[in-house]
Amino acid sequence: MDMPVTKKKKLGLKERYALMTRGLGWEPSYQPIDDIFPMDRFEGIKIHDWDAWEDPFRLTMDAYWKYQAEKERKLYAIVDAFAQSNGHLTLSDARYINTVKLFVNGFAPLEYMSHRGFAHIGRQFRDVGPRVACMMQSLDEMRHSQTQIHAISNYNRYYSGMAEFRHHHDYLPYLQVPKSFFEDAATGGPFEFIVAIGFAFEYVLTNLVFVPFISGAAYNGDMGAMTFGFSAQSDEARHMTLGLEVIKFVLEQDPVNVPIVQKWLNKWTWRGVRLLTLVAMMQDYMLPKRVMSWAEAWEIYFEENCGALFRDLARYGIVMPPCVEQIRLERDHLSHIAWCHFYQARGTSDFHVWLPSKEDMDWLSAKYPDTFDRYYRPRYEYWAKCEAEGKPFEATAVPMQCQVCQIPMMFTEPGDPLTLCQRHADYKGEQYHFCSDHCRDIFEDEPEKFIQSKIAGHEVFKGNAFRPGTDPTAEGFNPAAEALAFFRIEHGRDNGLHNGSTDERNFALWRGLAKAND
Amino acid sequence: MSYTLTIETTGDEVEVAEGQTILDACLRAGIWLPHACCHGLCATCKIQVTDGEIDHGEASSFALMDFERDEGKALACCARLESDVSIEADIEEDPDALGIPVEDFEGVVTRIDPLTPTIRGIHVALDRPIRFQAGQYVNLTVGEEGVLTRAFSLASNPHAPGAVELNIRIVPGGVGTTWIHEHLKEGDRVKLSGPYGRFFVRHSAKAPMLFLAGGSGLSSPRSMILDLIARNETLPITLVYGARSREELYYHEEFEALARTHANFRYVPALSDEPADSGWTGFRGYVHEAARAAFDNDFRGHKAYLCGPPVMIEACLATLMQGRLFEKDIYTEKFFSAADAQQVRSPLFRRI
Repeated sequence: MDMPVTKKKKLGLKERYALMTRGLGWEPSYQPIDDIFPMDRFEGIKIHDWDAWEDPFRLTMDAYWKYQAEKERKLYAIVDAFAQSNGHLTLSDARYINTVKLFVNGFAPLEYMSHRGFAHIGRQFRDVGPRVACMMQSLDEMRHSQTQIHAISNYNRYYSGMAEFRHHHDYLPYLQVPKSFFEDAATGGPFEFIVAIGFAFEYVLTNLVFVPFISGAAYNGDMGAMTFGFSAQSDEARHMTLGLEVIKFVLEQDPVNVPIVQKWLNKWTWRGVRLLTLVAMMQDYMLPKRVMSWAEAWEIYFEENCGALFRDLARYGIVMPPCVEQIRLERDHLSHIAWCHFYQARGTSDFHVWLPSKEDMDWLSAKYPDTFDRYYRPRYEYWAKCEAEGKPFEATAVPMQCQVCQIPMMFTEPGDPLTLCQRHADYKGEQYHFCSDHCRDIFEDEPEKFIQSKIAGHEVFKGNAFRPGTDPTAEGFNPAAEALAFFRIEHGRDNGLHNGSTDERNFALWRGLAKAND
Repeated sequence: MSYTLTIETTGDEVEVAEGQTILDACLRAGIWLPHACCHGLCATCKIQVTDGEIDHGEASSFALMDFERDEGKALACCARLESDVSIEADIEEDPDALGIPVEDFEGVVTRIDPLTPTIRGIHVALDRPIRFQAGQYVNLTVGEEGVLTRAFSLASNPHAPGAVELNIRIVPGGVGTTWIHEHLKEGDRVKLSGPYGRFFVRHSAKAPMLFLAGGSGLSSPRSMILDLIARNETLPITLVYGARSREELYYHEEFEALARTHANFRYVPALSDEPADSGWTGFRGYVHEAARAAFDNDFRGHKAYLCGPPVMIEACLATLMQGRLFEKDIYTEKFFSAADAQQVRSPLFRRI
């Protein structure tokens, strides 16, 4: 076989990139292109010139393997060292482990969902440039999911609430919030997915998700989680750049795209911040050594950074999503509302809760001078009194959930923190409930989609939250206990109060053994 | 102690102070390198060092791998020079950049024209001619001590390189411009260095040109238009030029005359604060409004050059983009001052 002899020894970065991306595509000859890529038109986004797509982060597959392999070697060396030296016993406090539980149950599965979503849309764009970019991100997301699960598996050997993370993510009521968020995105069209996840989530909100977890890990002695954070961050930059390229490309292609993108930004900023309720709570209540408050993180990462972004987007005619007004009003309430809820509903979660100590409350009132002492401190003091009297307060009723974000309807009216906020809409003879105007707007834009939401509370009432073979008519049938069994929650071990839990006891015991002779 | 950084991709040379990062030095020199986190974590600013010694600073071991360090890769946001250094970076080559080296020049002020109540035209006969691309600027030494410099665009035609003109507006409270307005006189000797900047006509694009200028931001567009006309350019050229009032509008008659004698040159003056009874029959409003009206909100297919105060630039950018002209076809004068560095900017746009 004759091999062409080339005098040039090495291709330039640009040439190599071109050959490894656009060079891999071809013009179909015996099938119409619309049949091959049937999904990139129905959303109404108009693309006239796919060649204007410019992948800003030039990385080819061959370089990708080499690069990620070394990263992985570094990461696993640290994760192994952490495991072998019983790193979990050097944590700031046993309560920190609950942050790890929240992460592995709530967020690591989202990385996997993201992998699936990008793999899916990586098949759907008719141009090879975005397809290659989506494929790369898809691989990144799978790696993130794997490395997070591996790093956290060290904790699973010693502590509760993590072994069934996949099952919990699929069924446990509070985890339907993150799960439904990604399912909503993945069941949109390819452009909505890439705007929702590639831009709104990976760009606009990413720092609000990652910085608290990763800095929280660093502050609390969790070397493993901190390291996968740094490992992932070098990929996140690529994802953020992809998100920016997507938004510019779509907005510049046709003026009809602008209102569609605006609608998606409005929707996904709101959905994203609703999801971040979990992170806000973690930041303010769950880190024994705190990094910064939710309110401070919001100011830095949203008001400053995203303010600059939306000022630039204004040149395209894009405006700041209107929901941001309400987010600002909720800023000083969000984490408190959430922790109060998790404290009361502690029977159905897979991590432990506790009442803030006096010192914790002083920090909270310093960070939230307008709200904490007035609205939330009295509740904690009352519940502390109940605990001291041996009658801790617990809510066991199934809460009503929002049809869109699936968060229990625990939020108060914007600007009126003493009135519960509830919205309703009728569709085809059924009434649906929402936590806010914004969730109701999202529903009313696509009611056929959201009437299919699987609401965890409804699933219990419908009998879908019992193990196969369960007989609800049997003598002494206890639906709550049966539902917990279906959720694979061991009551009293996986849930409930931190004080007196097996995790608290074991941590104290092992740390004692590690630090003293007998 | 400073070192010289050579960017082989473009041939630019940048002085880098001790402790200054490559990224900082490049951005301040008007050379845009890709960057995002600015503290060694994201690897967006990865460059190839081809010669010389650098210190990797706080570059993360995940963002810059050991094997990459061995290959001479570095993160521009953290790397500091330990000798003169050459790098390759992911910069688009600009076929229209002539890469004229910066030199020092001296000359004598031959004429000072009061162009408007606030703007003076300073004419300087140089001891030897300066080669520059129309649109570029020089740093003029100002003040009695001869230590301060201020940047001013060359307003004259590059085909007359021995006698240059600067149009200088007095900035209230500004040390440099106040000195020029109050102390500089005909016959004085002045020093300047240049040419600087990457604001010049993209002739290779062969596209109709739109110049948007406000106030003394007219300097560069005037030089560019005089240059285009001297080159017998046949593509359509439009100048939208805005000022507050008729008395602040200068070289108005010159552009009207050019429009009469050159069918491809269109001149659209706009006044934003002209008394209603003044008899002005031209456009009333801001530059961006005049441009939108003149082009019926459709700028597709043009190359646009913007020069003027920041508020005008921002309004024009939004107008152009909503009229379907985007970053790759828009050029502005961009100086990175200390204030810019502190301002939080999004990485959505690279140059504008």
